This record gives sequence, structure tokens and C-alpha cells, in this order.
Amino acid sequence: MAGLKLQDVRKNFGAVEVIKGVDLEVEHGEFVVFVGPSGCGKSTLLRMVAGLEETTSGRIEIGGRLVNNVEPRDRGVAMVFQSYALYPHMSVYDNVGFGLKLAGTPRDERDAKIRAAARVLQMEHLLDRKPAQLSGGQRQRVAIGRAIVREPDVFLFDEPLSNLDAALRVDMRMELARLHTDLGATMIYVTHDQVEAMTLADKIVVLQGGIVQQVGSPLELYNRPANLFVAGFIGSPKMNFIEVTVDGTTNDGVRVANSLLASPALVGQRQGMAPSDTLTLGVRPHALQLDDTGPIGGAVTLVERLGNETIVRVRLDAATEITAALAGQREIALGEPVRLGFEPVDAHLFAADGRRL
Amino acid sequence: MNHGTPSGDTRLRMSRLFPGGKSQKARATAVLFVLPAFTAYAVFVLAPLVMSLYYSTLRWDGIGKARFTGLANYVTVLTDPDLLSIIGNAFELVLYFTVIPVLLGLAVASAIRGHMAGTFGTLTRTILFLPQVIPLVAAGIAWSWMFASTGLVNQALTAVGLADWARGWLGDFDFALPAVGIIGAWVLLGLCTMLLVTGITKIDPSLYEAARLDGARPWHEFRYVTLPGLRQEIGVCITVTVISALASFDIVYIATGGGPGITTMVPGLEIYRLAFAHRQVGLASALAIVLMVLVLIAITPVQWYAREKK
Repeated sequence: MAGLKLQDVRKNFGAVEVIKGVDLEVEHGEFVVFVGPSGCGKSTLLRMVAGLEETTSGRIEIGGRLVNNVEPRDRGVAMVFQSYALYPHMSVYDNVGFGLKLAGTPRDERDAKIRAAARVLQMEHLLDRKPAQLSGGQRQRVAIGRAIVREPDVFLFDEPLSNLDAALRVDMRMELARLHTDLGATMIYVTHDQVEAMTLADKIVVLQGGIVQQVGSPLELYNRPANLFVAGFIGSPKMNFIEVTVDGTTNDGVRVANSLLASPALVGQRQGMAPSDTLTLGVRPHALQLDDTGPIGGAVTLVERLGNETIVRVRLDAATEITAALAGQREIALGEPVRLGFEPVDAHLFAADGRRL
Repeated sequence: MNHGTPSGDTRLRMSRLFPGGKSQKARATAVLFVLPAFTAYAVFVLAPLVMSLYYSTLRWDGIGKARFTGLANYVTVLTDPDLLSIIGNAFELVLYFTVIPVLLGLAVASAIRGHMAGTFGTLTRTILFLPQVIPLVAAGIAWSWMFASTGLVNQALTAVGLADWARGWLGDFDFALPAVGIIGAWVLLGLCTMLLVTGITKIDPSLYEAARLDGARPWHEFRYVTLPGLRQEIGVCITVTVISALASFDIVYIATGGGPGITTMVPGLEIYRLAFAHRQVGLASALAIVLMVLVLIAITPVQWYAREKK
């Protein structure tokens, strides 16, 4: 097992630069998730680590060894693909053991490893089946089994759960977390689903436009997003943003105002701002609560009752709506006027360039 | 529901055949829909087949009185050294018509895999398919010129210092059949390559990537990903080319007319010659039936191998 180090890694497709200088260190045994919207370069970066895409410039090191020009088979990585990539004509047993067979592993040893992987993934009863005879979840297990038997330094997962239904995705997510704990292996996982990222990762790498926006633990990203993009991407429902002007400061923080706000809002003390600065106020839907004296007021346009919480959309003006996730089951009618408030420490302020203050 | 007993299965099949129930009306409607196609098949396939079977038991010149001779014509087909040699020629042609196009097609398809999008792909497909568009008669004539004593092949051999190898290829007892085989291979290469190139683009590219990560080298990728992925296309190629070889007529007729001697004579041409030149309709029919059986025997294992394994 080993860690991974990327130094100013870049990738061009013709004249288009898709990875624009990524620096990253992954410790041995860490579960790192690359997350970002479609086209942000996360899969390309993973494939560069795997050796399936050439690296235009920069250094990729696995276990302290430079691997830029090393063939995929010799990098000590195993990859689980979004499409599973199981050999359709081979049985599950042969699929799992294919890499070992090519490596010339003796038959007995190969058999033991295949059966051990099947035991770990609870698919011993599937070994004689062909991929076409398996469900999506079972195929995914086989793909993971194929990665496990190779005992790689680094496991790579390219959106492995995106073809599964919601319930199975939750199950497989838990299985992957258990697998990571059991194997103690370094794992790099690509997803566009920030819930997967939050639940699985030791460390999340948020990518946008081929640039790393922030690296940190799930709660660091949630509590202290580095910029507007990360703040909007991490967390569900996504953070509400309202453009505000600095009105003044008090001992408890800074007061911001906007014609959309029913009253000035107080945000925990922040550095780097001056009166009259135009900033963006960010408040997570879960930080909002019903408050008759709260700064945000408007009419309810949508109510989603999820049982454990009630999601409401509140219209501030014709172009601006915000979302609030209220705990429990609330009796709120469409069109009803509501006032919402938040604790000053739960709000974020972002500068005009998107940076968090 | 009972799936286990034959009666249960029959009921199930019937209900699938006649979703509206087993009423007489539904059955009549189904028959009505099948009738036009069945009539055409019966008139143009079944009737000639039955008539050929009947003719094969006769001694008949095609005009005069026929005489029933039982299986005598079949005995002749299977014992006459010339006819056996002619059947052997057809099987030798399989080597050229099938093996060369399928192997070369696989090689080309593997080589250009991943480059099939865009102009290169379109151009490649067009060039490869061109021999299929050219009428076989025209191809036969063009190749006859190239294989002639003063033709392009001999000119090329002379140009590279191999003048000793030059000969009238299609008139040479040893090389006429291989020369005809090469014409067939050229014609069928386009078809096979097109089928295989199209088939290879359907293989999930991530299988190749998974194989590379599993430690596969190019040969392993070909052996464990490409070949199994092209099973059905290879089956179609082999079936079509084997039939082309065993039932060949036009290329041989144009290029050599079966000569020199009977070195390039094939059953298809011999059937024509026996029936219309020698007026031995019975023997020609027997040879046709034997040829059909040989084709079926040759392609059945291919069909079995190529079908989708569940």
C-alpha cells in the first residue's frame, strides 16, 4: 500500500487544457473523493493516475515512485469502472482471476485469492455465473472483487455507483466504506454526487474547470467552504446566496443589508471588509428557521414534506427565491408569508471574487 | 401457472403466438399474415428444392423422356474422380475466400480500432468496402488482366528482380486455383473488414482499459476482448465466405472458365456445364443437392459456435 502525490499535473486535449495544474497529496490508507460537476476533469485526473490518459506535464508519484511513463499494469493500481467493464464471455470466477492469470499466478494461489475476495464481497454463490446473469449491484461487486485480488497500492473508482438505483447505491456505499476499513487501502473515488463524497471521504477534492477549488475533510468543506463554488456544490439542498452591502459592524459581527431583506442581518465577525462593500451572503437551508423577527421574509412557493424535515421555497422577489430546510413536519401552506432567521455564526460572507471572507 | 409439463409449455407458446386467445379467428388472422411470405418462399425455394431432389433421381437430358435411376446420380457424384476433385477445389477455395479475409479483416479492424470516428473512419470504410460495390464480373476481368503474362503482377515481379517467378497465373496448373482464390479473397476482404470494424466499435472501450490495468498486452487484448466480442461478426463472415467459396461461380467463370483442365473447376460451374452443355440434368441436380448438403455441414458448426451463449 502507498500514498499518491500529484505535482502541477496538467492535461491537454489538443489546444484545450482540461487539467490546469493540480497539486495533491494523498496519504497511505486515505479515502479521497474527487467531486465536481460534469466536465470538471475529475475522471480525466483519475484516468491519468491509472495511466489510461497521458500526462501532458507535471509529476504523478505512487508510493514515492514517479509513474508518468509507467504502463497501467505496472503502476500498482486497480480500477473499478462506471460501466463495470466485466468481460462478458467470462464467468465471475474468471473475471475476478483474469489479472492473476495474466500475471502467471499459480492456479492454487489464484483460486485461493479469488475465493477470498468472493467471501469478502459475499458473492461466493455467483462465481459460476456470467455477467449477463447478474444484477447491477452484483456486477459492481464483481468489478470490486477484480480490483481486490490484484492487491493494488491504490484503488481507483470511477463513478462506480452511478448506474445503480437509489436504494442499492446506499447499500453499496456502506459496503465500500466497510471495505475501506477492512483493507486499509488507499482509495481514490470519483463522483459527481456530493452525498457520496460527504459520506465516504476522509478527504474531498472539489474540482471545477480543471482546477482544484478546495481540499479538505467533508465537514471542513461544509463548514468553511473556500469559495462560492464549493459553498454551492457541497451541501444539499444547496446554500442560498443573496447579494448584500456591509451596513456596519457591532460587537457580535457585521451587519449586512439588502432591499430584499426585511431587516439587516447579523453575520459573525469577519475580517477583510469595509462599510459599503458589496458581498454575497451565504446561508445553508438547514441554518434557516422560522423567526417572526428574522431578516428574510417572503411568500412560500413550494413545500416538500419529507417526514423528518420540511423543505420550503420562499420568494423574496420575482427573481430571487431561497430554500429553507425546517426540522420536523410543519403546517405551512403555499402562498403563506413567512419570516426566516439564522444564527450569525451559521452565515458566510463571500467577496466579489467569490473568495470566502 | 404450470411451466413444467409439456402441456403447460404448449399452452404458454400458444398464448404467445396468439395473444388474443386461441380462437379460430386469431389463428386464421395469423395464417393470413404468414401466407404471402410463405407463398414466395414455397415458390422460389421449396418447390425448386423438391424439384431438384426429384430430378436428381432421373436420367434426363432436360427435353426428352426421363428415366428413374434412383440414387445412381449420387453414387456417380461421390465416386467419380473428376467430380470429387471439383468438390475438393471448392474446399480449397475456402482457404482463400474465408481464411484470408477473416484474418486480414481482424488484423485491420484491430489496428484501426479507436480511430474510426471522423474522416479517417469514413474514408477507411469506403475504401475497404469498394470491392463489394464493383460487380464480380468486372472484378474478374480486371484481375484476369493483372494475372495475364504481361499483366501487372508479372510486371511488378520483374521490377523487383523476380522475373523467374513470372508466369501466366490463371493458365498455370499449379497456380490457377490460388490465383482465383486471391481474386475471391480481395472481393470478400472488404465485406469481412466492414463487418468486423463495425463489430469492434460496439465493444465497450472500458473492457480494453480494464484489460490493460489487469496486465494485458496487445495480444491478450485481442485474444480475450476483441475475439470474444466479435464472435457473432466472425460467425457471419465465415458463413458468408464459406458459402461464397463452395457455391462460387462467377469469378471462376470469368477468370478461368474452370481451366486449365479442371484445376479451377468448382461445383457451381460444373452444375451449369452438366445441365446446359452436357444435358445431364439428373447428375447436375444430384451435384447441386450434394453441394447444398456440404454447405450445410460446413456452416452448421460455425453457426453453433457464433450464436450468443447465455
